Amino acid sequence: MSTTVCRLVVLAMRSACCHTRGTRVCLRQAVFAPAGPQGSCAPGAPAPQRRAYSLDSLSSGPGRPTLGHISQQPRGERTSPSSALTHRNLSAVAVQGQRRPLCRYDFLDLGEVEENVRQAQACKKVRHFIVDPSLAQVVTQHLGPDLEDSKAAIFECNPGPGVLTRTLLNAGAQRVVALEGDKNFIKDLQELEGRLDGQLEVVHCDYFKLDPLGSGQLKPPVMYSDKLFTDLGISETSWTDDIPVKVVGIAPQRNERSMLLKMVYALFERLSVYRYGRVELNLFISEKEYLKLVARPGNMMHYRAFSVLWQMACDIELLHKEPWESFVVSSRQGVPVSKGKLPNDHLCLVRLRPRADLFSSGLTPSNASTLMLMVKQCLAKRKVKLIDRLNLWSPDSGGKLLSEMGMPEDILTGHVYPEEYRQLFQLMEKSQEFTQSWLYEEILENTQREGWA
Amino acid sequence: QSDVLDVQHVKVQVIKAPSSGRGGPPGRGPKNKTQEKTDFPKSAHSGTKGASKSQPSRWMEKLNAEARAKEIAEVEELEKRLSQQVSQWASSTNSERLVVDSDANTCGDIQSSLRSYLEACVFAGDIERAHQFLLSQHRTMNRRKQLNIEMYNIMMRVWAKKVRLKKEAGLKPNLGSYCAALECMGRTPNCSPRVINRCLSQMEEDGLSVDDLFSQCVFRQDERDMLLRAVRTVQPDYQPKPNTTLTPCASPLVQDFYSQRADHQYPKLDFSQEELQERFKRQLSMEQACTVTIDSVEVAMPVTENMTKMRELLAEHRSQWQKTLLQALRESKMILAKTNTKDYRLNLYPYLCLLEDREYVDIMIQVIVSSLPPSGESLKILARDLGNRLYTKYCVQQKGRNQIVEKLSNIYNAYTDLLAKDTKVYDVLPREQWCQLETEHSSGPTLQGDETHWPYTVTVELGTYMVDLMVKNLKINSDILNPACDRKLIPILYHMYTFRSTRQVGFIKPHPILTQMLQEAMETKLTFDSYVIPMLCPPVPWISAKFGAYLLTPTKLMRAIDGATQHELLLEKCQNLHAVLDSLNQLGTCAWRINKPLLDIIISIFNDRGSDKLDIPPPMSEAPKIPHFNPQDPSYTSTEKAHMKREVIKAKKKCSEMHSLRMDALYKLSIANYMRDEIFWFPHNMDFRGRTYPCPPYFNHLGSDVTRAILVFAEGKPLGPKGLDWLKIHLVNLTGLKKRSSLQGRLEYANSIMEDILDSADNPLNGKKWWMNADEPWQALACCMEIANAVRSPDPTRFISHFPVHQDGSCNGLQHYAALGRDVIGATSVNLMPCDVPQDVYSGVAQQVEEFRARDAESGLKIAQVLEGFISRKVVKQTVMTVVYGVTRYGGRLQIEKRLKEIDEFPKEYVWDASHYLVRQVFTGLKEMFTGTREIQDWLTESARLISKSGRTVEWVTPLGLPIIQPYHRMSLVHSGGLDSVSTLSRSSQRPDTVKQKNAFPPNFIHSLDSTHMMLTALHCYSAGLTFVSVHDCFWTHALTVDTMNKVCREQFVALHSQPILQELSNFLLHKYCTGLIEVIKCTRFYSTCLWH
Repeated sequence: MSTTVCRLVVLAMRSACCHTRGTRVCLRQAVFAPAGPQGSCAPGAPAPQRRAYSLDSLSSGPGRPTLGHISQQPRGERTSPSSALTHRNLSAVAVQGQRRPLCRYDFLDLGEVEENVRQAQACKKVRHFIVDPSLAQVVTQHLGPDLEDSKAAIFECNPGPGVLTRTLLNAGAQRVVALEGDKNFIKDLQELEGRLDGQLEVVHCDYFKLDPLGSGQLKPPVMYSDKLFTDLGISETSWTDDIPVKVVGIAPQRNERSMLLKMVYALFERLSVYRYGRVELNLFISEKEYLKLVARPGNMMHYRAFSVLWQMACDIELLHKEPWESFVVSSRQGVPVSKGKLPNDHLCLVRLRPRADLFSSGLTPSNASTLMLMVKQCLAKRKVKLIDRLNLWSPDSGGKLLSEMGMPEDILTGHVYPEEYRQLFQLMEKSQEFTQSWLYEEILENTQREGWA
Repeated sequence: QSDVLDVQHVKVQVIKAPSSGRGGPPGRGPKNKTQEKTDFPKSAHSGTKGASKSQPSRWMEKLNAEARAKEIAEVEELEKRLSQQVSQWASSTNSERLVVDSDANTCGDIQSSLRSYLEACVFAGDIERAHQFLLSQHRTMNRRKQLNIEMYNIMMRVWAKKVRLKKEAGLKPNLGSYCAALECMGRTPNCSPRVINRCLSQMEEDGLSVDDLFSQCVFRQDERDMLLRAVRTVQPDYQPKPNTTLTPCASPLVQDFYSQRADHQYPKLDFSQEELQERFKRQLSMEQACTVTIDSVEVAMPVTENMTKMRELLAEHRSQWQKTLLQALRESKMILAKTNTKDYRLNLYPYLCLLEDREYVDIMIQVIVSSLPPSGESLKILARDLGNRLYTKYCVQQKGRNQIVEKLSNIYNAYTDLLAKDTKVYDVLPREQWCQLETEHSSGPTLQGDETHWPYTVTVELGTYMVDLMVKNLKINSDILNPACDRKLIPILYHMYTFRSTRQVGFIKPHPILTQMLQEAMETKLTFDSYVIPMLCPPVPWISAKFGAYLLTPTKLMRAIDGATQHELLLEKCQNLHAVLDSLNQLGTCAWRINKPLLDIIISIFNDRGSDKLDIPPPMSEAPKIPHFNPQDPSYTSTEKAHMKREVIKAKKKCSEMHSLRMDALYKLSIANYMRDEIFWFPHNMDFRGRTYPCPPYFNHLGSDVTRAILVFAEGKPLGPKGLDWLKIHLVNLTGLKKRSSLQGRLEYANSIMEDILDSADNPLNGKKWWMNADEPWQALACCMEIANAVRSPDPTRFISHFPVHQDGSCNGLQHYAALGRDVIGATSVNLMPCDVPQDVYSGVAQQVEEFRARDAESGLKIAQVLEGFISRKVVKQTVMTVVYGVTRYGGRLQIEKRLKEIDEFPKEYVWDASHYLVRQVFTGLKEMFTGTREIQDWLTESARLISKSGRTVEWVTPLGLPIIQPYHRMSLVHSGGLDSVSTLSRSSQRPDTVKQKNAFPPNFIHSLDSTHMMLTALHCYSAGLTFVSVHDCFWTHALTVDTMNKVCREQFVALHSQPILQELSNFLLHKYCTGLIEVIKCTRFYSTCLWH
């Protein structure tokens, strides 16, 4: 009986979540307070302290967590077996009395806004924070639609006071990994982690500092991605598989561009996190950087190698625009001054979802670096003729290539679409002349450095 | 209305005849076709025109009148500056600003572009173009603002030569204008005295005297004689007054040096006058040729069949490339020549007519064959080098054209009288003697050329143009080395980009085929610019900021960052640089020769397989092979591929490093080998802080251990009673051992290892090889040999030694700080206080750090425990040394990290933590030892911060009167053409770079003090008859005179620090920047409490 009630309430709740932005969460909590102890409705086997959560092993395999939920299946309130995973083993914990039981009907308190703001502002590094619950709600919705059904783990970068973290959990996210670079926030997050049962894992790690190019002993929050993934029990997947990880966060302003470049570079070569599959980024980046990212051919000012590579590699979708003022910032400067011609009043939540068909018809992670070299050399200046650039690689071959592509002889590099660059590259790959060229062997310099502009 | 202006401002007027009579420039309009003489054919101008003098060109007048109002202010400014030069700036006590305001400075850049353009036109004989250009500038108001009287004077000069100038034209004239006018009158036979008189009286009205003309104008060719002729027409017995305004040096530090010369004994060179003159001739012809081709030391290597083949191939291609380039250049010039010359934009055409086409091509070929490294070079650097080479060549030819060479020879020959051993003893300094001689040889051109330095942008644009020509035209067959390839004509140079942090840098890369050909051919000839070779005769003494060092090659007194010009203005204004110039001259007069036995050993190793341990770079055949792998090969896993890739990158990097090291050594050794039987000199100049450097870039005594070891003084002196001991102590110093022993202790140590020393000298490569373990092995070996020769001579005290003995400052920067801050503990640790044994500040700091470490280890700090037994002098030395020069924690950590990595036993995983920990301890340790230092540093930093925040650049004056300005400015981008307009130049703007200004001030200030101390020592050593050279704070002299030098060195240190240095700095800053700025005043108050406590 109680279960049915619960289900109804949950349904109501979900729709509330989805349709009413800005509803105070605490209100909802008040609504659900009576239903609180019903975590007890989930009996079952004792849960392991920390699950090895492997995407491969979701359906089977040794890494598979407790099977306790199977007994819950008949309850019929889950839409998929995987969603059962998350919720079913709570009662045992509750019984043990060590952890606060949580289930989808049981909402976490987001904390006082003022307190969260204070905590965020205490951060020593210049960072932006999501503190506004409604903003967190918006982000959560965009990560959805069906968080509790999704197999993908969510990496939340630098959660800070954890407003988004809780919102995600409240929305039923099955697995949130909080990667926090600042020690000061870790304690509270860990405390939260302790109260839950595996839906949240906290790692002292700065996502934007993964896989540094230098050498030497690494100290957290800097770490290698393979360590992070191994520790989390996430194994490599094939590129065409479903998305294993969704990353959500705010790109650091200080080195936004070079960080984005480093990531696209890793993407093409399937290094770093991309070894593990098509990791999807949901990042807040500055408006001007977003506009450059999606600049189209003909926009000679902003159409750069950087735009071409991202557009080639990913489906880019602007999910949401939010004024800078909505974020709490831990420095006095706050809103950046836009020096260029591009507007920069917002942070843009952009989804960068790698294309499943990226590595097909001739492009592989191993020859991708040549593609990148080509794009970067071509777009160093946008108002030069493409044919000249191509002839540099292999004299007299440029014309042939262009006619094969059906492009005019005098086309400028800044007028070529990302897709066309890709086709061009595929033709080059097939051509004897190009693969003989010494430039083909050249390796992009400066790969040693982080700034990869 | 313009006529009114005429009456008011134009005192002298001109008839401007068309510059080319015959062709009759068409576009000039009818106005000026007033008189018959306009149409005079060129040839007719030479005579018979004294009569037709009236009829000023109405048009020209009108044109000029328009400009006048605008320019008067500017010209007056110029004149004011001129007159200011007479008064010493230092003495001026009120608000007079040293640097012209920022506006004038950016404008200055454009002005110098315009000037160099005009000069280039004139030099190339293209007067029409210059004229048209000036007119087109003149016609547009906003462009006209950029013109100044100097530019008109350039044209007037030209017209004066052609005797076209009847009277003076234009703006408010300055000395140069009158000079040209009078010259013109002088050139005109039977010029009426009335005209000349009128001109002279107008000059007087302007407040200029005839004497000023002769003392301040710069003359070319026979200009001066013509001027004199004109003046004598009206004043038959006029005699220009010799320029004898020798102002005494203001600095109290050198007052006695200049005024009391009774017991000075300036050294003489060990040559007869004739020998010196002979050497002068050789040097002159070398500089006239601009380049020198010498044998590389690799000539001794056996020639393989492949090498012969490659050399032939290369020679064949070179001549083919030459032809191609020549043709391309001519075609391109034709196009440029046709582009509208009235266009105000600067066209490169005149610059391409300065030299023979062939010479341009030679310069370009030289780049391909010798200066382009296989890994490529940034376009900007390449272009700058090309442009500079062109400029040098142009300057040299200009000097030839202006008949300077002849006069220079005369003066130099007379000057040798001062230096040669077979002449009387002088009590004047080289600079004074040279000035005297110039006054005596006053007729003819002025030696101190007025050649306009090309602005940086012009240099680079010209270079880019040449690179562009090469990239577009030079081709090679792709199958030349590998017949299997398809034959295709491919370019040998590529223009690409590399990416550095967030910037993209244009890069020129040679095709691998070219690189392979060059490397395999191992050509045995090297071509250098002439200034790379040390001078074959004593350098010309610096007599002003514009003249000195090489005979013809233009040299800057003060080196600077590309594009910075602020310091030049300062130097020009500064009238009394005598002490600084004299010390540079002193350093330049030291003659050198090669230590042949050592050179032979080094070359033998170099041509064998090199030796990393002995710092002889191995040949490329020893380089690691670049691993080959096919990235498509599916048998590799992605980690393996990534690894392989990293290996390839590593190998490539290593190869290019090795290549550059090898080439550097090849150049040095080849030059040394070329000079092996010569005696030579290194002219000196200085950087913006006054630190002195020898001008020849590769081979000089500032170089590495290897180059230092193969240099000895040309002059020999007996060892004397203590000389041998000094040699031995010097040897021990070179080993780096016994740092904490007294001199006596070091001597005893040397005596105890005499066997090893002699063995090293006798069997350097086959014996016990004791010398190889020294800190400076090659110098140690050279010293061993010298000692062996000395002890085996019948009487060591009379053994003639050429060997330089070094006396090294013990952490010179800290010494200056300690002295400034009157820091007793600090001073003791850097040997400023008498002690039984030499103190070693590095060991002192190491000890201090060790104490901290022990304490921390006790309290359980992990890293402190790990570090046990690893803290040594060596680990902290570099950081301590550079702390005074402003090293930050970040840099300090990197230094320590490097040291720790060198220690094999140290666990690698702790390197980061340990270096982080250590650098903190070193800083704390230093702070405890040098309390005053930190306070002074803070004061300096804060002052600099405030100054640059107020938008101005930090300047100061050294105690010897050298003005210094920190050349750190924000960069602004300037786009330039050529190569698809890819290159952007950064040009320093006027806005100071606050961070650099602030951080660099303390170290730069200390550097300026240590350079002052060195200069003082140099001057006094010169007056004591010593041979003296310096490597910054390391002073060299003969073994015989070490004691005297040390005495001078100490005396001058005390003298320097007896001056109220900080007080004067504070006064200067207050006076210059302040008046009203409370912060600075506060700082000063702080300073006064900090110093004289």
